Amino acid sequence: MDKKVGVYICSGCEIGKSIDIEKLNQVASSEQNISICKNHSSLCSVEGVDLINNDIASENLNRVIIAACSPRAKTEVFDFPEDVILERANLREQVAWCYEPENEDTQMAAEDYLRMAVTKVNNIDVPKPFIAESISSEILVVGGGITGITSAIEGAKAGYTVHIVEKEERLGGWLNKLHKQIPYTVPYNTLIDPEIEEKIKELEQFENIKIHISTTINKIDGQPGQFEVFLNNGKEEKITVGSIVTSTGWKPYDASKLSHLGYGIPNVLTNVEFEDLVKNNPDKELPKNILFIQCAGSRDKDHLPYCSSFCCGTSLKQAKYIRDLSPESNVFVVYKDIRTLGLYEEFYKEVQKDDQIFFTKGEIEEITENDNDIKVNVKDTLLGENISLSVDMIVLATGMVPNGTEDLNLNYRLGKGLPELKYNFSDSHFICFPYETRRTGIYAAGSLRAPMDIASSKEDATGAMLKAIQTIEATKRGEAVHPRSGDKSYPELYLDRCTDCKRCTEECPFGAYDENEKGTPIQNPNRCRRCGICVGSCPERVISFADYSINSVSAMIKSVEIPDEFEEKPRILVFVCENDAYPAFDMAGQKGLKYSPYIRVIPVRCIGSVNKVWISDALSQGFDGILQIGCKPGDDYQCHFIHGSELTETRGENLQETLETMMLEPERIRTEFVEITDYHKIPDIINDYVEEIELIGPNPFKDM
Amino acid sequence: MKPVLVIGGGMSGVTTTVEIAEVGKDVILIEKNPYLGGNVVKFNNYFPKLCPPTCGLEINFRRIKQNSRIKYYTSTEIQEISGEKGNFKVKLKTAPQYVKNNCTACGKCLDVCPEERPDKFNYGFTKTKAIYLPHEMAFPYKFNIDDEYCKKESCNKCVEVCEYDAINLSAKEEIIDIEVSSVVVATGWKNYDASKIDNLNYSTSKNIITNVEFERFITSNGVGENKLLRPSDNSEPKKLAFVQCAGSRDENHLPYCSAVCCSASLKHALTIQELYPKSEIKIFYIDMRVTGRNEDFLIKVQDNKNIGLVKGKVGKITETESNNLILEAEDILSGKKMNYKAEMVVLATGIVPSDISINLNKDQNNFITDLQTDGIYPVACSRKPMDVSSSVKDATAAALKAIQIK
Amino acid sequence: MIEVSPDIKFKKQLKRISNSSLNECMQCGTCSVVCSLAPDERPFPRKEMIWAGWGMKDKLIGNPDIWLCHQCGDCSTYCPRGVKPADVLSAVREISYQHYAKPKFLGKILNDPKWFPVAILIPVIIISAILIMAGTFQIPEGPVNYSKFFPHAWLNSSFSFLWFLTIGLGILGLRNFRNDMKKQDPDLKPTGSFIKNLFSIRKEIILHSNFSTCTAQKTRKIAHFLVFYGFILLLFVTTFAIYAAVTHNYPLEFKNPFKIIGNIAAIMLFVGLGIMIANRIFNKKDFGNSTYNDWLFLVSLFLLTVSGVIVEAARFINWGLAYHLYFFHLVCVWFVIIYLPYTKFGHLLFRVVAMVYAASINRKLK
Repeated sequence: MDKKVGVYICSGCEIGKSIDIEKLNQVASSEQNISICKNHSSLCSVEGVDLINNDIASENLNRVIIAACSPRAKTEVFDFPEDVILERANLREQVAWCYEPENEDTQMAAEDYLRMAVTKVNNIDVPKPFIAESISSEILVVGGGITGITSAIEGAKAGYTVHIVEKEERLGGWLNKLHKQIPYTVPYNTLIDPEIEEKIKELEQFENIKIHISTTINKIDGQPGQFEVFLNNGKEEKITVGSIVTSTGWKPYDASKLSHLGYGIPNVLTNVEFEDLVKNNPDKELPKNILFIQCAGSRDKDHLPYCSSFCCGTSLKQAKYIRDLSPESNVFVVYKDIRTLGLYEEFYKEVQKDDQIFFTKGEIEEITENDNDIKVNVKDTLLGENISLSVDMIVLATGMVPNGTEDLNLNYRLGKGLPELKYNFSDSHFICFPYETRRTGIYAAGSLRAPMDIASSKEDATGAMLKAIQTIEATKRGEAVHPRSGDKSYPELYLDRCTDCKRCTEECPFGAYDENEKGTPIQNPNRCRRCGICVGSCPERVISFADYSINSVSAMIKSVEIPDEFEEKPRILVFVCENDAYPAFDMAGQKGLKYSPYIRVIPVRCIGSVNKVWISDALSQGFDGILQIGCKPGDDYQCHFIHGSELTETRGENLQETLETMMLEPERIRTEFVEITDYHKIPDIINDYVEEIELIGPNPFKDM
Repeated sequence: MKPVLVIGGGMSGVTTTVEIAEVGKDVILIEKNPYLGGNVVKFNNYFPKLCPPTCGLEINFRRIKQNSRIKYYTSTEIQEISGEKGNFKVKLKTAPQYVKNNCTACGKCLDVCPEERPDKFNYGFTKTKAIYLPHEMAFPYKFNIDDEYCKKESCNKCVEVCEYDAINLSAKEEIIDIEVSSVVVATGWKNYDASKIDNLNYSTSKNIITNVEFERFITSNGVGENKLLRPSDNSEPKKLAFVQCAGSRDENHLPYCSAVCCSASLKHALTIQELYPKSEIKIFYIDMRVTGRNEDFLIKVQDNKNIGLVKGKVGKITETESNNLILEAEDILSGKKMNYKAEMVVLATGIVPSDISINLNKDQNNFITDLQTDGIYPVACSRKPMDVSSSVKDATAAALKAIQIK
Repeated sequence: MIEVSPDIKFKKQLKRISNSSLNECMQCGTCSVVCSLAPDERPFPRKEMIWAGWGMKDKLIGNPDIWLCHQCGDCSTYCPRGVKPADVLSAVREISYQHYAKPKFLGKILNDPKWFPVAILIPVIIISAILIMAGTFQIPEGPVNYSKFFPHAWLNSSFSFLWFLTIGLGILGLRNFRNDMKKQDPDLKPTGSFIKNLFSIRKEIILHSNFSTCTAQKTRKIAHFLVFYGFILLLFVTTFAIYAAVTHNYPLEFKNPFKIIGNIAAIMLFVGLGIMIANRIFNKKDFGNSTYNDWLFLVSLFLLTVSGVIVEAARFINWGLAYHLYFFHLVCVWFVIIYLPYTKFGHLLFRVVAMVYAASINRKLK
């Protein structure tokens, strides 16, 4: 189809006063040969938008360039048919508002941004979504504990068919072993009977829930919408599902490592063992003095460094039922901190009311076994001195260890399970996006993801199921899921030139690529999150998106006019992550912060998507320096695509070496990391770098 | 099928909205402020990553902008609801929109507006013009006029200067009638009124502020603009103290634990240390309630020599002549009373559920209980205190509950 | 290191007397801070609250801090869990009277309402017995003259004897109390004599300075001041009266300076006690829980004052019921004076002993 471009330049919001619009018109029409180039004093007004819409209709425009405000502004106003490519040249926030008005350099920047926009639209196409022929709307839930059961029920209620797989012969998981449950609604004052029977009954009533007990998973192949799951319940059975919720739960911390807390002495039990004891022997007389030791193995650098979250509540519950069962008993609780967050405080108070439950903060110093009792010395207590307790039984409040997700047996190049964060939890790293997953369409829920109690697991199960449903629906539309929700593009590979170097398969944060025996990537578009890290990874430049390609960015770079070295106007190309750094540039402009007009900004999907060829193109084009600005890497990374920034850092080091071999100063490439709120740092980052480049002098490749 | 109504455009409401829309269902989101983002948009950063909330909001706002299934109304509250699940009739009330949606936020009006108002976004510690941009990342990105301070037609200066005819000073309140299939109540929270805690002298001492106010003091776009300045004399405090459970876990105030304040204060302490590595900070607490993997975050604070954690609740704060503050607590582990002199004090006030004008079942603390008419789902801090991550989790769960109603 | 074995019976007694739920204490230490008296080192009442919760009777009973508290109630007002530390400490004091009572049964009958009849029968029987022995157990003829009913020599000698007896027994109990205090922390070596240490706390006693810091209830200091000095004046007048009686110059003239002082003292007591009683009835929130022990002492002192004034008036107007009232007045005197170590009035002794001990170990209040 012919490319029919219209350029619309807005003179509102100081743009007209800062920039010579007439000259911009000339760039568009004479230089770039655009036949339709119109100006308006406020393109975002009804008349402005009508003007563009009329042209789209009458002139059959399929590419529209709006040279006005940031693409982040007025997004809803500039809403054109889907087959029209819209490009926004940011002349307001990143030119008029941050540069001197009516200045030669300002004008040059504006003209370059217009050139880049025109070049871009001429080099990209409307993405055609990848829509697989058959997409399954069924959902697999792995793990039949309370999380899995809740997830299955909630999914079924929304009308989806759910397969729930449990390796044991009975659903219910840990809840089967409970004597009582902690109350989780007001007034938080009575223990509740285990709700698992009722839950299983509810589950069994749904016709659209298929229960697979005593079943494991041999293998999961495929991608969202088309996961082929090979179940094993004696014989292999294949089901196809669109997405997966995994809730394989937790196991108690290995108490045999807790001999310093008395484990091994008869009558020293874990909280799980104690629950079991009471559940199975409800009439058994409990001993007179029982001690609970909190954080047994949790919050302990030699064992589990984290807090297991549920043990405070569990010990309170157990203390309460001991007292109900055995009015003579004294219960002692030695804790580090009582962590009954939120409304659970009411439950803590309720348990405190009992005259024979005694609480103190403290550290266990020594435990000795006597003939008739166990003597426990506690230091750092609240009683003003160290105390010694003679007890008949000790309950160790041991913590939670996640079961992991290896049992999924994903047939993925990057591993059988979900990637794990610190301490083996398959959690999201994002506070705002707790269901961020690195295996698209597979969502972890419950204590697999983070230590949590029953109420919290149920909430989590419901949320994860929503995400699973959402993936199926997005896949049906051929759209990406978070964070580039709605994106219909996907990477296209020209495998003829592929050298099987495996970089894309290794670097894709989402495991979208598998490999054949040769090492050639096999694409799974529905696993893709469209970050473009593979674009950046490929040394052969074979990966591109329809609307974000090696060529389009290269062409944009080449479209920038580079003044010759005698003009003493250096040019610095700035690759900016569109998620955080780009908004920071916008806000700097909004705040009227001024910085050097020698830079040319190209937003990228992720800083990790920057391909080496763009850098060499820029250098050979005559750019004097290249700055890459991404989100923060490291332990607390903010990169929305996990390790885009990190890859940029390591690639940057390699690039600098390459520069040296080209007899160029390594300083000609710099990588910076900013947060979205760091807009006040933008002028310094830019100006410092421009200054440094000016010191180094012009790029020798200029004018070559 | 009728859309889902989400009441409240904070972190939870926004999440529920985009999650529902991305499944492919229609959503109407209403927010009483002129901007989305609720409480978190005022925050400097989140614990434990110390990352800015606007980072995630930017993505969520982009998801809203790009999704035609979402309709949102700011400055709008619910007035009435009737009907039943699948078919609720709702009356919404939108405050007068003096600045129309075609505002480009060019800022010309700022130069001519003669009236000032306390900036609510900064809890009144700074001022804006009567016509103002709520904050620099405001979504929707447009100006707004404060009814209370604007002199309207008698002034008319902004109208004269606006090149886009975006101001209508005679705008009226609007009533919108909608029909929805289900309702998610994400009205969120406000912080406890610290002036009620008389022994902590919040009302009488300028240099005692609350934790939510403190967010605006340490954020780069807040009160001090990259500097932490204490209110009494704009000096940079080097000795600070955090008072945990200021109102929470207290039968005289809030009987429950607010779940987030411990982590919030740890976050504040670390943020101060980043800004002023030599500052000295004490955090007075009863129990340090930081669960799960956030324990690492606590250890990070414990390892910082300039931050002291004192087990003992502050019972009294007195102001000195130089506006410094003397905090009294019992350091319970040593069994000694201690007096700590700080230049600035932050009260870790707790979470109180926000008000809502329609009739819903609430507990004795005004949290909306789960026991509602079928098809109405309270979410996140409107139903119990929780942190951001849990709220988003809950909001995602509510999205599923809402779309189950056909 | 201390071996802990909770005394549940004691804990329950404490809960009953204090009417505090006690258990919900979360050891935040607010009480220790808002207390205007608690010293910086080992302040009270936070530690007392956990000892109470753990049923640690020994820690509480032999603890001088219990008596350094003036029960202003600030701790209860600000307690975030509503466990009323002030009332708990007060209950420990009440239990102390019984614990150190010699003989034990007197401690018991004066702190338990169900033994009240016995408590009242004892003085009625003993006074009647004395009157019978004196041969005056009948209403005398003629103008009212109380010495005809109860000859001064009999009265002074019997009451003085009984008073010295119970005070002596009380002192034995106090010795135990003092020893218990010493045992609490053997590392602390008390210094100085009793008298020297008593002298060092004179200001607190004379000026009631520790009351002034109370923020919750301003009227408490005035009331206690009036009662305290009213009672001392009366004691002084009574001593003079005994002297006068011995020198055959009794009853005193209405205009006698001692009589005037006596009447002023009665007014002071009346006002002071009135405030105390009113506070306890009408301002329960700030004044905490009032126990039988509180009421028994307050009411008997109040009745003592009122009956004293009426008895005096009855003499001047020759009222027919004068002698009946006089008998009643003597029973009141018994309750206040002779029962002193076993009732709340015992705080006079316990508090002084505890304060002196605190001074001896250099434990200074704020």
